[in-house]
Amino acid sequence: MLTREQISDGLERARYVTNERVETAIFLALALEKPLLIEGPAGAGKTEVAKVLAEILHTELIRLQCYEGLDEARALYEWNYQKQLLRMQAGEQQGLRWEELSEHIFSRDYLLERPLLKAITAPSRVVLLIDEIDKADEEFEAFLLELLSDFQISVPELGTLKAHERPVVILTSNRARELSEALRRRCLHLFIDFPGTEQERKIIELKVPELDAKLAAEAARFVSAIRKLGLRKPPSIAETLDWALALVRLGVRELDTDAVRTALGVLLKHEDDRVKVESKASALAPRRR
Amino acid sequence: MARLRDQLVSFIAALRAAGVRISVAESIDAMNAVAAVGLERERMHEALAAALIKDEADRAIFDESFNRFFAAPRANRGEHPDQRGEQVSAAGGRGRPGEDPFSLPRDAALASPREEKSLSLPSEAKPAKKAAAARRHDTEKGKDAEESKDAERHSDRMRGRWERGEAQTREESPTPGIDATRVARIRAIERTAFDKFSDLDYDEARDALAPLIRRFRIRLGRRLRLARTGRIDFRRTIRAALQRGGALIDLKFRARRPRHVDLIILADISGSVRYAAQLMLELMAGARGCFRRVSSFVYVDHLAEADFEDGHLVMTPALDLYARSDFGRVLGELWERRTGLLTRAAIVVIMGDGRNNRLPARADLVREIGRACRAVVWLNPEDPARWGTGDSAIKQYAREVNALVPSRNLRELQVALAAIA
Repeated sequence: MLTREQISDGLERARYVTNERVETAIFLALALEKPLLIEGPAGAGKTEVAKVLAEILHTELIRLQCYEGLDEARALYEWNYQKQLLRMQAGEQQGLRWEELSEHIFSRDYLLERPLLKAITAPSRVVLLIDEIDKADEEFEAFLLELLSDFQISVPELGTLKAHERPVVILTSNRARELSEALRRRCLHLFIDFPGTEQERKIIELKVPELDAKLAAEAARFVSAIRKLGLRKPPSIAETLDWALALVRLGVRELDTDAVRTALGVLLKHEDDRVKVESKASALAPRRR
Repeated sequence: MARLRDQLVSFIAALRAAGVRISVAESIDAMNAVAAVGLERERMHEALAAALIKDEADRAIFDESFNRFFAAPRANRGEHPDQRGEQVSAAGGRGRPGEDPFSLPRDAALASPREEKSLSLPSEAKPAKKAAAARRHDTEKGKDAEESKDAERHSDRMRGRWERGEAQTREESPTPGIDATRVARIRAIERTAFDKFSDLDYDEARDALAPLIRRFRIRLGRRLRLARTGRIDFRRTIRAALQRGGALIDLKFRARRPRHVDLIILADISGSVRYAAQLMLELMAGARGCFRRVSSFVYVDHLAEADFEDGHLVMTPALDLYARSDFGRVLGELWERRTGLLTRAAIVVIMGDGRNNRLPARADLVREIGRACRAVVWLNPEDPARWGTGDSAIKQYAREVNALVPSRNLRELQVALAAIA
């Protein structure tokens, strides 16, 4: 059982800048053994939490990426039909009876383990990341609910498989659709929004140390400012870091209008956004003499 | 610790009264969470939020209630952990003098019409009243009680709203980037009944509309998306079967062609219904992309085409807003222009209270329209208890429409409109 301080240190060591709210939520997810639902805009660092947590716990990260039409077979397990068919054909030639054959083809060798089954059958505690659960549909959510409460599944041919140690479950959502109430009840909730200027500056300094401190502060201020402009896609933290690195590579000394214009494509991925920011660039980053 | 537990129970009850839905399992989680993190105020704040608040929109209400229930300790008191714990439990429940324990029920739909609600615990009165006064629930109280309390509630509302605004600006928002005041205001506006709207409320609702439109459009977009299964796609099925040695185990389907749905809106803009009508037109204008064609009409005693230009409603021809409603005649006018408009792909949404000044209702025309179109849905912004009273012809219309849905406030309106698809 980790203490809060250990979590705090672990996050720092993994270079994940955060605040009280995130630390408390992670601590509670571990202490109460409940899944953690993380919501927020794209690129704010939700998936990072799971990766960092796996580092802190020195364990494996098992990732299930959700998409529209994801079903049980793809998420839980599938029988390897081709292999089974081949085995059956070989068995026919050998003259085996069905009883012997069925023992073979319905064994763990012929089972394709997908992420959820891997998480259940893992020998030690793992971190299970169910990414972008809002992209999956409601049937999948209902199935997931059942799984999250018991952490056991019954494969008809193999019996019931129960988890030795409950994995730490993290779900992320971009709020593309409303999740069911039942799922929300089952989980603890954490909202990760874009960081404020100060936090962003810390992140830039931590992850792009080559960038000098004054420039990092200006960059953070600039990105915070353009997020307020109502863009189609506000820049995520990853893009901010890419942009900071780009400034280093381009040898930019100070953030003036020209510097901003050159590297804007790294930060903004839509043409209309770029045009909007360019027109405001002179207000945000004054032209220096 | 029993005192703290009781304190938490009251706090959760206050949140429920303010409209946050909290299940029993979550309240137990909250207790466990506090036990795990300890009594330090900041940590307890975040721990309770993680366990109780599952929707970021509720966060503002939570923060406000928390700050009232567990007031921040005085700076000059000792920092001994035991003392701090004492402060947390002692500060909660302190009522301000001069407040009457008056609270509005959380979910008006569940309350029976004649029931008078009052709080037992005075300690709950303060946050509940502030939260409730700020939220402006509509209630199902008896008419007399309602009238007498109306004036009082209005001034309370004004005061509550002003104080709440102040309180919000006093507290710094816990996470940067979220405008807690705005979120709380939007939530409050969503729950206000249309017939209690004033011009001020209407303007606020229009301001609040932008995020609501976006949210609505996303919800609607998902609903109207392609159905998952259509006819069997033979070629892909065979392809998949090759993997299985020829056995047709996996069936693949053709994606269905996108539904072409036209929307026809008929909105009553007389009297008090006009706020609801205008908001609905704005909402639908925002979701325009989801339908093939959207035709908006407004009516009082005649039909007029409606358009939103620069946020103002423009009618062609201009209607007299104070004429006597005559929906029967309006239906006739609609029926006359039915060619090309009322088709099998069209859904007709009527928003009105069905009050016809005892003029002929022409419910038969509604039946004809329903036959010609895919569906007819009626949204009634009036209190269901008053349907059928006075000159209301809604019961006659109700027989001929596919669905009759009450939409007394912005939230119900959104739900109803999303359910249409």
